[in-house]
This record gives sequence, structure tokens and C-alpha cells, in this order.
Amino acid sequence: MSSIVLPELQRELLDDFYAECEEHLRHIRDALISLEHSIGKAQADSKVIEELFRNFHSFKGISAIVGLSPAEELAHATEEFLRDLTQGKVSISAKGLDLLMAATQKLEQIVSAFRAQQPLPAHDALLRQIAGICEKKVIAQAAPVSSSVDAGHNIKIDEARSRGLLVWQCTFVPTKELDERGVNVTSVRAHLGKAGEILSAVPRVFGEGKIAFDFLVAMRETPADIMTWESDGVRVHLMDQDQAPLKTAGPGTKRMEGAEDNSPFIAPSHVVRVDLNRLDDLMRITGELVIQRSRFEDQISQSARRSVSMDVRTLQEVNLALGRSVKELREAIMRVRLVSVAEIFARMPFVVRDLARESSKKARIELKGQQTELDKYLIERLKDPLLHLVRNAFSHGIETAEERIAVGKPSEATILLSASARGDSVIIQVRDDGRGIDRNEVLKRAVSLGMQIPQTLDEAGLLRILCSPGFSTRDSADRASGRGVGMAVVNDTVRELGGSISLETENGRSTQFTLRLPLTLAIAETFIVSAAGQLCAIPQNFVTEVLQVTEEQIKIINQVEVVPYRSGVLPIIRLSSFFHLPGTARPRMTLLVLRSERGSSGLMVEQVHGQREVVVRAIRDPLVQVPGIVGATELGDGRPVLILDGAVLTSGPVRPHSTGELEQQLIRSAAHN
Amino acid sequence: MSPNPVTFVLFEVAGTTYAVNSADVQHIDMLEQVTLVPNANPAVDGVVFSRGQVIPALNLRSRFGFPRTQPTIRTRIIFVKVQNRVVGLVVDSAREFRNMSKDTMRAIEETLTGVNGNYLKAAATVGDRLVLLLDLDKVLNLEAIEPQALELPHTQALPPLAAQPKSDQISPLYAHAKIT
Repeated sequence: MSSIVLPELQRELLDDFYAECEEHLRHIRDALISLEHSIGKAQADSKVIEELFRNFHSFKGISAIVGLSPAEELAHATEEFLRDLTQGKVSISAKGLDLLMAATQKLEQIVSAFRAQQPLPAHDALLRQIAGICEKKVIAQAAPVSSSVDAGHNIKIDEARSRGLLVWQCTFVPTKELDERGVNVTSVRAHLGKAGEILSAVPRVFGEGKIAFDFLVAMRETPADIMTWESDGVRVHLMDQDQAPLKTAGPGTKRMEGAEDNSPFIAPSHVVRVDLNRLDDLMRITGELVIQRSRFEDQISQSARRSVSMDVRTLQEVNLALGRSVKELREAIMRVRLVSVAEIFARMPFVVRDLARESSKKARIELKGQQTELDKYLIERLKDPLLHLVRNAFSHGIETAEERIAVGKPSEATILLSASARGDSVIIQVRDDGRGIDRNEVLKRAVSLGMQIPQTLDEAGLLRILCSPGFSTRDSADRASGRGVGMAVVNDTVRELGGSISLETENGRSTQFTLRLPLTLAIAETFIVSAAGQLCAIPQNFVTEVLQVTEEQIKIINQVEVVPYRSGVLPIIRLSSFFHLPGTARPRMTLLVLRSERGSSGLMVEQVHGQREVVVRAIRDPLVQVPGIVGATELGDGRPVLILDGAVLTSGPVRPHSTGELEQQLIRSAAHN
Repeated sequence: MSPNPVTFVLFEVAGTTYAVNSADVQHIDMLEQVTLVPNANPAVDGVVFSRGQVIPALNLRSRFGFPRTQPTIRTRIIFVKVQNRVVGLVVDSAREFRNMSKDTMRAIEETLTGVNGNYLKAAATVGDRLVLLLDLDKVLNLEAIEPQALELPHTQALPPLAAQPKSDQISPLYAHAKIT
């Protein structure tokens, strides 16, 4: 039906359509979650219902525009149900909510099948179910030829007529008998589609949960067999020129106030939708700008040193101003790319509900910090890992209701999904109050798989085993948590994104996975440092202080080099040792105090070359993915400079023992020395 | 067998001529500065940039069990693409493209393989020279080789982390810090 649209335009239209669908589905999910608390109340929260109504209504509108009738029909049926809810005619029941959720998921499936150009999933049964719980309307059993044609359709009707077509209204009422003869809404649609052009298809509820489908079909001429259609349950009616069907709203087609306008334009908006690739381009160009400016700066200071006769100061001012503008530009672009984690989080309650329905476990999911923002690219890449962690929490983490009651826990388990911003990083945690990870079980399994076992199995070691490819504690892969590649993929993805993952588990009580991710991938503020001739960058957000130390200040405690720091001691890492290179002895060394949520350490370097904004390039190849390095950058000469991972550098001496214990030990020994 | 000739890139490593299918080769560069990557596989020289990507530079001398030599003006890095992965192969020299038809190739005898992994696909005779055809998948699959079979890198580094499970007690970084 959209054959008049140019293909390119159509593709663009469709892209917009998918984006809009996603947006509406997200709002619908959000609203459904808050609706969950209204179950059983006489009057559901009207704001939430209105929000739902608006979104389903818009969904219907845009589906009609692209000719995706199943989505249109389903959204319409849902809309009808919601209308009853707003009018207080029915209260929201658990079943009603289930249906709304099912409809949401079905809509998503229909849209993604449409997008993938695959056969659309069947939706008739769901339509009937939704119709079934709508208000029991007392009207004639025979479906009257409805006049529920609205403004959007009028435009189409006019447009069709202007092309000299006749517009017929065809009403189809599915029955069991017809269905047995193979006549159903799909076959009727196909038949009508052959006879002419289907302008609209709208399901309508009447009587005791019965449903009728109103089709508007534009035909060049009246089909010869049109009178026989009635025996197939299709009643036809020629819409004549003067008929203004909109004004004669019939029974069962009451419109919600303020919803008469079926215009596809919902509300004036200041939002521009942008293709992520275009933003990537902007980010790349900005990155180049950053590098060029760095070179410019170098050039100026070199000229200044050689005291070339030119006004160096003016150049420096220009450079500074340029630097500020470039920084503002990149921050502005970065902000454009940020989207809230709600895009992923809002999906999870559905996942958990689905899993719970198919098992003897009871669980609810709690979401925290949904407004936390992250780069769009990161969000896209994190979808699967987070889904996996939540499924894992459900299938491995939590116990059955009986088991929980037996150990004195509430029968319903809680999975907490939270996000928070911390400087230039975002922390995402998946926590469950289940049985915790059984180390012995993991060990046994690891041994049986012939894996290498670390001598002490702390949580980091445990995580390493869990993240090994092919490791899964379930003997057979189950639907919920997949095929034993899961944690390995989670780990790889997080690392590739320049993030890190850690695990905390308490036997019988909880398991928590913590992902630390950079807010954005592209550019980081760093200190450029060197030791033993190796130039490196260390992200500024890990550096809390820069100190000068002498070799004499360095003590060895428990084979660990430390320096006195504040009231205790700080374990140090020599950058030269990190590279396995002999360091150059200098009277004074520079110590960068690094801090992350994993702990603190001092990175000892020979020289600090200054602060730089650098363009971060991910290290993707496994040959060079090593702990302690998050990526590489270049400073303008084409040579890679490694970017160190503050999180790994700070997890060294502190991490293996429970925090505090080693620190205490270090402080005690320091006191002795 | 089809006599259709395939174009190969021929290169030398420690006096032997090897070949890779030119379709797998992205480009060949002079070897400029390579950035050392600590704790990477010992056969890896480090990383280089190629087309904005960070690419590992795999030293084929080291990979095949020969001692490394100082890079010369003839040293080349061949960027090969294998299953969406780009790796730079550091070789002694690379100067030739040559068509070879499949019937000039023959299977490798068992005795030639099994040293550092079975990374040879076939052998061919070009003029009076023996050319060994590399199986890139296997060349790049460094996990498959025993760590002992690897030569240590040019610095007096410790064995790779993978071979050092004990380092779990303290972080790998720290383990080295302790020894110096």
C-alpha cells in the first residue's frame, strides 16, 4: 500500500518507524512496571493508564502508516481495554496486566519480525483474549457494520477516491466454524488484499468479548463474486461519497476524550533523531581535532624553546582558546550520545516475569538509577551481557520458593539491578539474594573440565573460572541462562568496552556482579607518563594525587613495596616493572596515587609529561588483551601509546585478601619498621 | 584439481620462504615503531596502528621458534585478515607476489610439523625453491601451543601469565614488582 513512496524515502520512513516503536515500547514498559502496584485496586492510577493509552494509540497510528496491520490491530485492542480502565469500568487485574505485557511483547515481536522480513507471529489468540476481558458491552450479537472510521482513514479514503477507486467497508467476524474451513482474519486479509488495496484494518470488540475486523478496501471495480463473500463471514458496504462516517460513531466505539485526533503527529517536539553513525563521524572528527591541537601545542612549545622570533604568547593564547572550544565540542557531542540505562533496565522485569512463570521460583526485580546515562554504543553492546547476568541470577542465583522458606528467607527472591555514575565511570550491578556461588561446586566442575585451578580461590579467581569459555555449572544448558558461553562473552564484551567486572558472593546470601564502564568510549583525560623509555597514558579519573618520593622512602613489607601515605602505607607499582624493564635510578620519582572502588595504589613513574586529552582506541585482539591495559592512543606521531587500566592497577595488593585485612597487616608492619 | 592459479604473497623468515594467500593480506608496511605490550604472548612484539585500529604485531621468527633479530631495512609487517581479526606478521622480508596453481602444492610430511603447532598447510616448489604455505588460523592460534615451546621475549621477562597460575595470590602486576 505504500507503493507510491520512493524506496529510499520508504527506508528512511521505516527507520523512523522502528525508532519510534522502540520509544513507545520503552514508555509502555515503564508504565506497566508502575502499574504492577495498582493490581486489584478499584481505580488504577489514571496517569499511568493515560500514558499507556497514549503510547498504544501512537503505536497504532505509526503501524497503520507503514501498513503493519497486525501491530495496528493489537495496539488498537489494547487501547480499547485501556479506555475501559480509564473510565473505571474494569479494574486492573493480574490477568489484565499479564495481557498488557503479553501484548507489549507481541508488538515487539511483530515489529522485529517485520524488520527482519520474516513471517509475522500470530496474534489472533491474544486479540481475542484482550477482547474477552474488556467491558461486557450489551449490544446486538450480529456485528453491525461499524462506522469506526476515523480522521486518518478519511484522508486515505479521499486519496483513494482521487485515484478513481471505490472504497468498500468490509466487516469480518471470525467464528469457530469459519476457522475450521480455514477462513480467518489472515485469509480474509489476503483475499481482500488481492481484490484491492487495504486502506485500514481495525479490530473491534462487540457483545460478549466477540471481535470483528473492519477493513477499508479500495477497489478499481466491484468484484464479481462480492455477494458470495458474506458466506465467508465478510459483510460489505460501499462507502458513498457523501457519507461522513466519522460523525456517526456507533455503539462500542466510544472514543476517549481528547483522543479523537488520530493525527500521526503526536505533539510538537524539539527532538531530532540522529543516526548513530553520523554521531560516530562527528566523534571521530573531533578526535582528530584533539590530536591536531596537541601537535599544535607541541609545535608552539618547541618554537618557544628555540626562541624563534614570533609572538609565542599570542599563539599560546589562541591555542588555549582552541583547546577550550575543542573540549566543549567534544563534551557536547558526548552528551548527545548519552542515553539512559532505562533502555536496557526496563526490559528486565519482563525477562524475570517470563522466567518466573516457567519455573517454581518466585522473583521480583528492583531497578535503581535508571536515569543514569551512558554512551549509546555502550548501551547497545551491554544489552546481551546484562540480560545474561539477570538470567544467571534467576537460574543459578536464586532458590525455589520452598528452599527459601526453609532457610528463613522470603519466598520471593529479589534481583537488584542498579546503575550509578562515578566520575567518568558508570557502575552497573546485578545482585541477587539467592544462595551465593558454591565454590566447591565450581571447583569440582573446573577440575572435571581439566581447567587450571588457582591456589587460593578468592572471588577474582572464582570469576576467572566462571568466565572461562565453556564453563557452565549446569550439566545441560537450560533455556534461561544459555549455553556455557555466557559469562565468557559477558567478560569479553565488558573488557572490550574498556570496562572491568568483579564478583562478590556470600554463601547462602547473595551474589553480586559489578561492571565498571567508562561513560564514553572515545576520549579520555589522561596523564602522559613514562618509565624505562615507555610512554603510557593513565586516565585522570583514577588519579587522586601526584607525589614526589625518594628511593629511601620505599619500604618492603611482606614482599610488597610500599611508601608511607597519610596515616598508613600505600603499595606501589613501578611502571618499569610492569613492562619488565629495568628502571632508571633517579633521586626523585613521581608517584601517582590511584584510587578506584577496588582499592588504592601508587604508580611510580620516572617522568610525567603532562595532561592530555586522548582518543581511546580499543584493543580487540586477544593476542594483546592483557590485564592492566584498556586501550591505546596516539599523540600525533602515529605510534601507539598504551592506556593503563586504573581499576586493575589498584586491585593488586589489596584485592586478594578481604579488603582491610592486608591493609591492617601492612599498617601493623609499618609501625614495626 | 582445478588448475586455476591463486596469487600468494611470498616472504622470508629465518631463511625459509613462506606464502600466504594474497586475498588474506590487507597491506604490507615497513616496520616502524612498535609499542611494547607487557604480559602479552612472548611471540608478540607489541602493537601498531593500522587504519586507526590497534593491531598486534606477531613476530614470526619468535612464533616459529627462531631467535629474534634486530629489525633491518628489509623487515616488513604483513597485515593479514582472518575471520574479522587483523594481525600484523613481522617477517624478515617480503618482496614477491606469485601465482601458484594448486597442483604444484603437496601435503606436508608429518615430520615437518608438530614443533610449534601444526601451522603449515602445504608445500610448493617454485623454481628450485621450497615454499611453505601457512595456515593462518593456526599461526594465530597461540593458545594451542605449550608455553614451554615458546621462546622468551627479548627482555628478561617472566613466563606469560597463563603459565603462572600461582600469581593468583597476588596480582600479576604485583608479582613482578616483588621480584625486582
